[in-house]
Amino acid sequence: MLSRRNFIRIGTSSVGALALRPFWELPAMAQTGPYYRALVCVFLFGGNDSNNTVIPMEDAAYKAYTANRGALALSGSGLTAPVADALGAPYAFHAKLPEMASLFASKELAVLANVGPLVQPLTRAQYQAALAPVPSNLFSHADQQIEWQTSVAQGRSATGWAGRAADYMAARNINSSQFPIFVSLAGNSLMGAGATTQPVALGPGQSLALTGFDATAASNARLAAFQSLLNFDSGLSLMQAANATLAHSVQDASALSAALGKAAAIKTQFPATSLGAQLKQAAQIIQAQQALGMRRQIFFCSLGGFDTHTSEISAHNTLYPQLGAALAAFYNATQELGVAQDVTTFTESDFSRTFQPTSGGGSDHAWGGQQLVVGGAVRGGRVYGKFPDFTLGGPDDTDVRGRWIPTTSVDQYGATLSSWFGIPDGDLGAVFPNLANFSLRNLGFLA
Amino acid sequence: MRPWLEWQFSASESDLPDQPVLDAAGQTYRNFAPLQGTFFEEALWNQDQLRQRVAFALSEIWVVSGVEIPYPYAFPPYWRLFRDNAFGNYRDLMRAVTLNPAMGRYLSMANNNKPAKGQSANENYARELLQLFTLGLTKLNADGSPQLDAKGNPIPAYTQADVTNLARVLTGWTYPTAPDATPLANNPAYYIGEMFAVESRHDATEKTVLGGVFPANQTAQRDLETALDILMKQDTMAPFVCRQLIQHLVTSNPSPDYIGRVSRVFLDNGRGVRGDLRAVVEALLMDPDARAGDQEGTPISSGFGHLREPVLLLANLLRGLGASTNENGTAAAAAATLGQNLFFAPSVFSYFSPQYRTPAGAGGPEFQIYTTQTAPFRANLIGQILYRTLDKNTPVRLDAFTAPDVSTLLDNIGMLFLHDSMSQELRDAAAKAANAATTPLTRAQAALYVALTSAEYQVIH
Repeated sequence: MLSRRNFIRIGTSSVGALALRPFWELPAMAQTGPYYRALVCVFLFGGNDSNNTVIPMEDAAYKAYTANRGALALSGSGLTAPVADALGAPYAFHAKLPEMASLFASKELAVLANVGPLVQPLTRAQYQAALAPVPSNLFSHADQQIEWQTSVAQGRSATGWAGRAADYMAARNINSSQFPIFVSLAGNSLMGAGATTQPVALGPGQSLALTGFDATAASNARLAAFQSLLNFDSGLSLMQAANATLAHSVQDASALSAALGKAAAIKTQFPATSLGAQLKQAAQIIQAQQALGMRRQIFFCSLGGFDTHTSEISAHNTLYPQLGAALAAFYNATQELGVAQDVTTFTESDFSRTFQPTSGGGSDHAWGGQQLVVGGAVRGGRVYGKFPDFTLGGPDDTDVRGRWIPTTSVDQYGATLSSWFGIPDGDLGAVFPNLANFSLRNLGFLA
Repeated sequence: MRPWLEWQFSASESDLPDQPVLDAAGQTYRNFAPLQGTFFEEALWNQDQLRQRVAFALSEIWVVSGVEIPYPYAFPPYWRLFRDNAFGNYRDLMRAVTLNPAMGRYLSMANNNKPAKGQSANENYARELLQLFTLGLTKLNADGSPQLDAKGNPIPAYTQADVTNLARVLTGWTYPTAPDATPLANNPAYYIGEMFAVESRHDATEKTVLGGVFPANQTAQRDLETALDILMKQDTMAPFVCRQLIQHLVTSNPSPDYIGRVSRVFLDNGRGVRGDLRAVVEALLMDPDARAGDQEGTPISSGFGHLREPVLLLANLLRGLGASTNENGTAAAAAATLGQNLFFAPSVFSYFSPQYRTPAGAGGPEFQIYTTQTAPFRANLIGQILYRTLDKNTPVRLDAFTAPDVSTLLDNIGMLFLHDSMSQELRDAAAKAANAATTPLTRAQAALYVALTSAEYQVIH
C-alpha cells in the first residue's frame, strides 16, 4: 500500500485520480499526512535588480536586453554559459551565481518570471489611466516589502501570508508541540505574524535562554520574581507586548536548546556570511524537527544591500556570491539530512529595479521581477510565467524606464508554495484573499 | 518643568570629536568603537540631555549608516547637524543634511549628474526626501489622519513624476574637495565640508514638483532653494514630522488631538515662523497628553509610553547606576547585541519603522527590534551589568543603592528609575527577590534586576 506521503506526491501530478474523490476529502488527507515540509524564504532587502539575476539569451530578447540596459547590460564573462530550459530556450545567470545555473541545469531550481504584488491582473493601459486597482504605495521599499510579506497588495494587513499559513496548520494540530511554526533568523518579520500564532526570532548560533542564574535559593527567588511579573496586567498595552514577547522566549528557549542539543553536527560547509549562518541555523532546526515535534515549519532569512541606485555592477559582484553560495550550501545540507524533497527555498525582494539605468551606474525602484525557487520537490530547469517585453515604454512598462507591471502575482507564487505545504485549494483563499482575482491558482513549479 | 526646559535649551552643547581619516600606518581608519564610546560618555553625564535626545531622534529620521559609509570621520560632522539644529528650524536642517557629503553618498545625491541619453537622474535622494524626511506617502490632516479622496482612498503626498522631476532638480552636486586635491566635476568621496554645485552637471531645464515650477536656467543652488521652499509650504510636513518626534520622545500612540496641537506649533510658532523645532519640542513635552500621569487623577491612556530603544536603555540604565564610561567603554557593543548598532542603521528606514505595530496591534516602533532573541538578551545584559559590570571602563556604583532596609531600597529604585511610581506588584516581586538575598549588595542587585528587567521600566511611560 502506498504511504500517504507517496499518495500526495502522485496525487498532485495526477489530476484524474484526485478528481474522483469528493473535493472536501482532500484537505483531511493532505493535512494529516505524517510527512515533514518546510518553506524557507530568503528575502533580498533593498530591491534586487533581478533584471540581472537571470537573462533570457534567445536572440530577440537578449538584443532588447542589451539595447535598453545601457551600462548595466551583462555580456560575455559577466554571464554564466547559457543553460537550456526544458523547452530548449537558453538562459544565462549572473556570472557570480554559477551555483544557480548548475541547479537550473540539474532541474532543482525554477525561475519565476516577472512576479510582484498585484490586486488583480493589470495592463499598461489600465495602469496609466488608473482604470483598475493597483498596489498601495508602489515603488516604496517599506510598503512593497509588506505587500510581498502579507500578499495583500492594498491597504495594510496585520498578518503575513506565512503567518496565516501557520495559523492554518496550528488550527489543525499538524505539529505535536507548541513550538512556533514560523522561525525567523533575521529579526521580526510581518511575514510570519499570524492571527493566532506568533513567530519566534532567533539569532543564528544564539540562545534564547536567560543567563546568570544558579541553584541557590536567592537565585531561584530572583527568577521567580522576574517570571511572576511577566503575568502582571498593568493595563498598558506596550507593557503587555513587552511581557508577551519575553514570556514567549522563556517558553521556547528550553524546547529549542533540548532539541538542538541532541542533534549531530551538519557536515555540509556553509559560507562564513550572514546568510550562510542563517541558513545553517535553519538546517540545524530542520534536523531537530522530530525532537521539536514539528511537521511543518517556515523559516525566514534575509540578505540586505540590494538598493543599488549607483555602482550596481560592483554591488552585485559582492552580493550574488553570498546569495549563490549560501543557497547552494543549504540545498546540499538538505540532501545530507535526507530532506531535500521536503524543503523548498524561495526568494522574495521589495521590488525589482528600473531596466533603464541611472546616471550613476545604478537603477531605481521598480516593480515586477524574477525570483528563484530551489529544492528537491521543485520542477526545475524551467521558467514559470513570462519575462517582460524589454521595450522601454512597451506593453509591460508602467512608464518609460522599464518598471515592469508584474504578470504573475505574489498571491499565485505564495499559493503554489502553500499548496505544496499542505493547504488544500479550497482553503487557499483564506490565506491569499486576492487569489480569486487570478485564474491560474497553481503555477505548477512544485511537484 | 519649564525652568528645566529653559536650562536645557541653553545648556552648553556636547561635541563628538573629529575622527582620523587615516590610521597611524596611513591606512583608511575604520574603528568606530572610540566614537561610539564617546557618544555614551556624553549621553551619560553631559548637561545637554534634551538636545542630545532630540538630535538622536532626528538622526533616526535622517538616516545615514556606517554600513555604506564605513569611515568614522564622516560621522561627527553629520551628527553636529542635528545637535546644531535640534532647537533650530526644520528648513535649515533639511538644507544642511541635503548638502552633507555623508547623505550625498548614502542616498546618492553626490555626483548625480544630469542624465545622458538612455539614462535618468538618480531618484534615490529625491524619493526618500519626500517619503521619509518631509512628507510621507499620504497627505495628512493636522491631526495626522490621512486625507481621503471622494472614494475614501488616501491621497498620495506626491506622484512618481514628482520624484523623477525632483531627482532632476537635485542634479549637479559633488563631494567637497579633499585637502591638496584638485576639484573635479565629480569629486571622489570626501566627508568634511559641504557638497558644492557643478553647473555643467546640473539639469537646468524647466521642472515641476508638487505643483511648484522651477524655471529653466536656474542654478543648482537656486533650484535647491526653490525645492526647500516648496517642501516647507506642504502642510503635511507638520503632522508627519511631529508625530515621529512625539513617538521618539513621548509615546508610540499619540492621540490625534495631541498630534494636532503640536502640528499647529510646527506650522506657526506664534510669531509667524514655520518649522521652529524648539517650539515644537516644548509643545510636545508640555502637552497635557505628555504630562498626564504627573499628578494624581490624570490617568494615562492604555497605549501610552514607548519601549526604551537599546541606546536609550543603556544610557538611562548606566546613568541611573552611577556608571562612568569613556571611549573604551562597550555600551555601544551591548546596544548592538540588542539590535541597535550605533551609527549602523541597517537601512535608510532606520532601526525601526514609525509604523511598526506589536503583535497585538498597538503602535510600537521600537518593538520592531524587540524580538524573542533580543528580549532575553536585555535581561541577560542587565544581569551582567549588575553582577559583573559591563566592562572595566564602565564601572557602576551599586553601593549607592545599599539601604538599611528593603523598603528604603525599593523607594530609591522607584525614585531613580520609575519616576516614583512603582506598582505594588513590582514592589512585592522585587521585595521577595531582595529578601532572599543575604548582603546589602546582593539585596540591591536582586531588587534592581527585578525592577530593571520589568516591562514597567522597559516601557517608559
